[in-house]
Amino acid sequence: MSDGEHHPSAWGPHDWSHGAPHNSWSPFILSMGVAIFLFSLGAAYEWGEFQGWGSLPLIFVGLGVISFSLLVWWRQDMSFGMHGEVFEPKSTGTPFQNIDIRKVAMWMFLMSEMMVFTSLFSTYMRYRLGIPNCKTVFHSGEWVEGTAVTCFEPAGHLIASSWFHIAPGAINTFALIISSFTIVQALRYAKKKDIDEDVRRRKVTRYLGTTWFLAILFLTLKMIEWFLGFPLPEFLHEFNHGDSEIKSLYAEGYLINADSYEHKAFDTDYIEKHPEDYSIPEESALYAMMEAGTHPGGKMMANIQVSATTFYVTTGTHGAHVLGGIIGLTYMTLKAAKGGYTPDNAVSIEYFGLYWHFVDLVWVLVFPFFYLY
Amino acid sequence: MRSRTKGAIAVLLVISAMLALPSAQSLPAGISGVQQSGCNCHGAVPSDSVVASIDGLPESYNYSETYNITVSFQGGPSQEGNVNQGGFHLWASQGSLGVNDATAQLYNENEVGHTEAGNDQVAWTLTWTAPATDTNVDFILHVNSVNGNADGAGGGTSGDMWNKLTITLGGPVEVLEAADPFVVLGVLIIVSATLLAFTLVFVFYRKDPEAFDWDNFAPWLADWLTSTDHKKIGTLYFIAGLFFLGVGGIMAMIIRIQLSVPGNDFLTQEQYNQFFTLHGTTMIFLAAMPMINGFANWMIPLQLGAADLALPRINAMSFWLQPFAALLIFTGVFSGHGADTGWTGYAPYVVSEGAHYGTTMWAAGQIMLVASSTLTGINFLTTMAVMRAPGMGWMQMPLFSWSVLIANVMLFLSIPAFGVGLIQVYLDRVIGTAFYDIAAGGDPLLWSHLFWYFGHPEVYVVIVPSFGIISEVIATSSRRSVFGYRSMVYALAGIGVVAFIVYGHHMFTSGMSPTLRFVTMLTTMLVAVPTGIKIFNWLMTMHGGSLVYRTHTLWALGFLITFTLGGISGMFFPSIAMDTHLHESYFVVAHFHYVLVGGTVFGFFAGIYYWWPKATGKMLSEKLGVLHFLTAFVSYNALFWPMHRLGVWGMTRRHHTYFVTTEEALGSLPMEAAGWNMFITVSGFIFFFSNFIMVFNMIVSSVRGEDAPDDPWGGWSFEWMTSSPPPNHTLYKLNDGSWGLPTLEDANEHIANEPGWLSSWFQRLMVTDQETGETGEASH
Amino acid sequence: MSRPVAEDLPATLMRGVSPEHTETTMSVMTPIFAGLWEHYIFWSLIVGGFAFGWLFHHSFWFTSKDGEKLPNVDEIKIGVFPKHNDDMRLEVAWTVLPFLLIVWLTYYSWGPLDAMWTSADGGIHGYECEEGQSSNNSIDSSGIISSDCYHVIEITGQQWFWSFDCLELGTSICDTGTETMEVYGSVPVLSLKKGETYLATMTSIDVTHAPWFQHLGTKEDTLPGQQTTLWLPISESMSEESMVLCAEYCGDAHSVMAAKLIAHN
Repeated sequence: MSDGEHHPSAWGPHDWSHGAPHNSWSPFILSMGVAIFLFSLGAAYEWGEFQGWGSLPLIFVGLGVISFSLLVWWRQDMSFGMHGEVFEPKSTGTPFQNIDIRKVAMWMFLMSEMMVFTSLFSTYMRYRLGIPNCKTVFHSGEWVEGTAVTCFEPAGHLIASSWFHIAPGAINTFALIISSFTIVQALRYAKKKDIDEDVRRRKVTRYLGTTWFLAILFLTLKMIEWFLGFPLPEFLHEFNHGDSEIKSLYAEGYLINADSYEHKAFDTDYIEKHPEDYSIPEESALYAMMEAGTHPGGKMMANIQVSATTFYVTTGTHGAHVLGGIIGLTYMTLKAAKGGYTPDNAVSIEYFGLYWHFVDLVWVLVFPFFYLY
Repeated sequence: MRSRTKGAIAVLLVISAMLALPSAQSLPAGISGVQQSGCNCHGAVPSDSVVASIDGLPESYNYSETYNITVSFQGGPSQEGNVNQGGFHLWASQGSLGVNDATAQLYNENEVGHTEAGNDQVAWTLTWTAPATDTNVDFILHVNSVNGNADGAGGGTSGDMWNKLTITLGGPVEVLEAADPFVVLGVLIIVSATLLAFTLVFVFYRKDPEAFDWDNFAPWLADWLTSTDHKKIGTLYFIAGLFFLGVGGIMAMIIRIQLSVPGNDFLTQEQYNQFFTLHGTTMIFLAAMPMINGFANWMIPLQLGAADLALPRINAMSFWLQPFAALLIFTGVFSGHGADTGWTGYAPYVVSEGAHYGTTMWAAGQIMLVASSTLTGINFLTTMAVMRAPGMGWMQMPLFSWSVLIANVMLFLSIPAFGVGLIQVYLDRVIGTAFYDIAAGGDPLLWSHLFWYFGHPEVYVVIVPSFGIISEVIATSSRRSVFGYRSMVYALAGIGVVAFIVYGHHMFTSGMSPTLRFVTMLTTMLVAVPTGIKIFNWLMTMHGGSLVYRTHTLWALGFLITFTLGGISGMFFPSIAMDTHLHESYFVVAHFHYVLVGGTVFGFFAGIYYWWPKATGKMLSEKLGVLHFLTAFVSYNALFWPMHRLGVWGMTRRHHTYFVTTEEALGSLPMEAAGWNMFITVSGFIFFFSNFIMVFNMIVSSVRGEDAPDDPWGGWSFEWMTSSPPPNHTLYKLNDGSWGLPTLEDANEHIANEPGWLSSWFQRLMVTDQETGETGEASH
Repeated sequence: MSRPVAEDLPATLMRGVSPEHTETTMSVMTPIFAGLWEHYIFWSLIVGGFAFGWLFHHSFWFTSKDGEKLPNVDEIKIGVFPKHNDDMRLEVAWTVLPFLLIVWLTYYSWGPLDAMWTSADGGIHGYECEEGQSSNNSIDSSGIISSDCYHVIEITGQQWFWSFDCLELGTSICDTGTETMEVYGSVPVLSLKKGETYLATMTSIDVTHAPWFQHLGTKEDTLPGQQTTLWLPISESMSEESMVLCAEYCGDAHSVMAAKLIAHN
């Protein structure tokens, strides 16, 4: 190595008084891990079909390698600001003079993130507007009992059908908004110069911990909404179409490979129970057909693969961002618990907060588009 | 040290998985041609107890002679008295098969099988007429041995057995077994990689022959693998870029061998499809992009007067994603299952089962490249926004820095769309989502839009840094300041803006709405304006100067010629009535190679000759350089110029072969097309090999080149202010003789340090640390 | 799955080139294409001649030798942003002049555009023909064909062959069949009448294809799940036989996915 006296470890911890990190194994290992993961995932499944156990262990090897590289990365960063030495280079060029370089970089990153979600939303809008809506098709009566029609069934159709269905999404919205508040509180206390070090440590840890908890809550509710469902106490059944549980989307058959899913005209069950009062408009073609007995029971099968695909991938991408946030928050909470945040390096929390606000903001767009509309 | 071993084992795992997995895919239900699947065989696996034979075939055939052959089998459950006894299917690669009686039937002249009447026998007589050419003929025979329970309860085929026989027959003149192009490609790549490794070890040895042992080599190597220094990463980018330029070149040569004569069968369709796909992907993503990043990594911090990039570890991350992505992209190619979609990967073919298995990994690898480019974009934009030396306003940045800035803005605003498209394709192929599932309502054009929204800015991303290099080289060589610095910057920015609104011209024949096509025609024509400004500015820079002919000057002048030609041929496409004929023809191939090779690569060559002394501290040989320029420039033009004519004649790109004829009526290519194709192939080989002169030059220079002065060419920007090569932690020789970070002076009147009105307005939005204090939480 | 392979070619076609060759070079050019082509070549020559003349003149006129001491016109010094070397009038000139040129070229390309995307109702090809009605094609000086009415046919792309459907048109107007060609083997044939105009409504049943009617100089993608249209105006001077090739990559046998277009009287 070139400079004889200074040998920073490529595995961390790093001596930050010398400035920016020098050598690091983690980019090399992280890239390798990503490659192993993508490769083995692509080998384990083809067109949704499981290809055998052969490459499954390799998926976990990939994830393990990724985690290992992140640990190396953090081991190098953990020391940042812990012992008073802070390396926070400032901008020299206009128009960002005296702004932290990391802050500018974070904004740049968020710009490209915006394009990611823009592309996902474009895909959604293309299909949402280009494929006839299942409800419209249903009401038009232009379908045959037992044959699947291709139509767009927005997840919101299921989710917004009852207050209980929408509950996980609604709680999640508030969880994310509150977590945006707690992360700012963490920053506020980390920056406070006039408080006791121990008080600061506890406050920052608690607020970061709360943020972490809310993020975990978000993903848990998401799992409930997607896969698990939730049983309801009996006195609430009547408010939930008489069902004893909040069915998960999975249980509803809202799946990416659903080529013969039964369109839930929430009126269907209702029609059977209240034949005199159902929500199909009297002037519609379907009404006439049901009167004539052509569509008895009104069960329409639909191919909703595209609708489910856009829903799961877009909200899933957002979920992956939350997961990334959780991973970051885990590290930050641990560091805070060690008293790692001082007014000198509190900006780290700010920069994570920028990302976290962005994730929150995306949810504020995803929620109406995918859950309500 | 232990962890390094772990790393090496993991790499080996990936590589062995890459080689092993696809071959496991191909059997038994995988992709198979006429030969394998032509037989509707009874039972799942062949049985050894059935023995098939063909009698009556000669050792080697005579031209066009007809032979009587008998096909028969023994063994298995077949026995006399069964209702049915057996069946067969015979395929011959050459010549024509014929039948004698009603027991056999001809499917086509390559295939014959038994009839209903021939079902209760174990031998059939046939004829085979030999071809009139020297070739090896393959026969593949499938036989069923049948127990005759066709009407029985167990179903028609239960208890039946089958087997297969393969015979190869020689021609009158012995024909050498054709080399498998995959083997050729594999061997060439392995040989190049080994040579590269040897060269690296040799360079290490040259540095200090005394210290040539593992104890010194291991930390040296580890330092390269872990370095976050912009210069080291730049060098790594160059090594990767040049290596893949060679790999892409080898593929191009294999493609050219196939196309050298009409109706050639050097490559099969499937092989050809994989080669042109990987040629495109390799050249754009694994050769051009890394080379740009190589130049940018080396020169941006130096030109800005900064110590390093803003985010050094992120920079290392951007680089290391690339070699691993390359492994994924090449997955399956050696077992014949590589991606075969074209670099555009149009939906729905890209998600169809017809596209090879390697397509999944091709998408996965490119997802990693997208991540890499995004990180690069963030890093360079941040660096250029925040780390310019004091005194260097936006309008004092050297033009190469400007070009990288514009390229990265384009790249990082467009590549997320491509990334999302690739993720969609990957998910479609892996977990079975339905983004491009037509039956479920998927739209093939959605992919085209996502792809070309990225794809068109991308081609400007690879050309614009070359513009920057040429601006530096022409100005320095002419000993002038570049003509119209400001209009150069505005032209670059203009290219950056129009890049996003012209992509529709790739989809003129895709069923896009006529209105959109017309709008795109207008915007595409507009590209000529900023590009024209740049060309005329370069020409005007030479005016009143005193041009010094050095190798990089020659390449820059060569660039002006080829890029202007490529630009002019580009003007033919927006004219839609012409484009409907030229689209997907060799005219397109000629055009984009004129701008991507004659533009981008020539710019790279100019840059390499220009900055090599700065980066290595050694001079390159001018004699070898001029030789390289002359051979490459001439052969390059001979290679791509005739393609324009072929395109107008109607030669279609992405076709594995073509036919020529004298019959005007037939509408195939005229006879002289064959001659031109051979000419192109020969020129292609000359061009390919001429570039090794540069590699040789580099090696000679590293080993015993003259030491380079700090500013060998007389440039003004900061990179010439430091030593050659620059010290490990970049510092500059200041005017007072000390080392440090420089400040830019401006020879013009206006005061560089005052921000303009836009900057001041923007700056007022910023909250700096000094202002925040305790209530800092409100600062986002 | 059977896949066509172009292997069994007559030796004469596969290798070697016959010494005598006919003048077939311009046969694939339609009048529209030829007109635009010549116009663009004309301007290319002017622009190219101007740029290259300038380049060669300056390359040989303003030169010096390495190491020669020369006046430093712009006072270039390391670490100092050099003096601006510009001339507003020149820069504006080569912004405005190319702009005018492309405005002209756009205008010039505009005319043939009508021939590409005339509306299916009441454009230059009129309305769909009644039974027995003829298109009565007439061709103007720039090669644009206008007709009284048009006939509708269907084209379907599939891996890896074309299907043509004349719908209800009589065989004198439109006919389909197959034919064995020396190089491509058995190919589908579409036989259209000279002097008539056809509107092809196209789709695909698997992946994207694009029929390239080589002597009509036109092509358009066929997209699965969607319909595209393509005008096929057959002029009197159209060559009797021409090729239709696939111009959008569609998989293994893409290159031999061919068909034949016959223009009959």
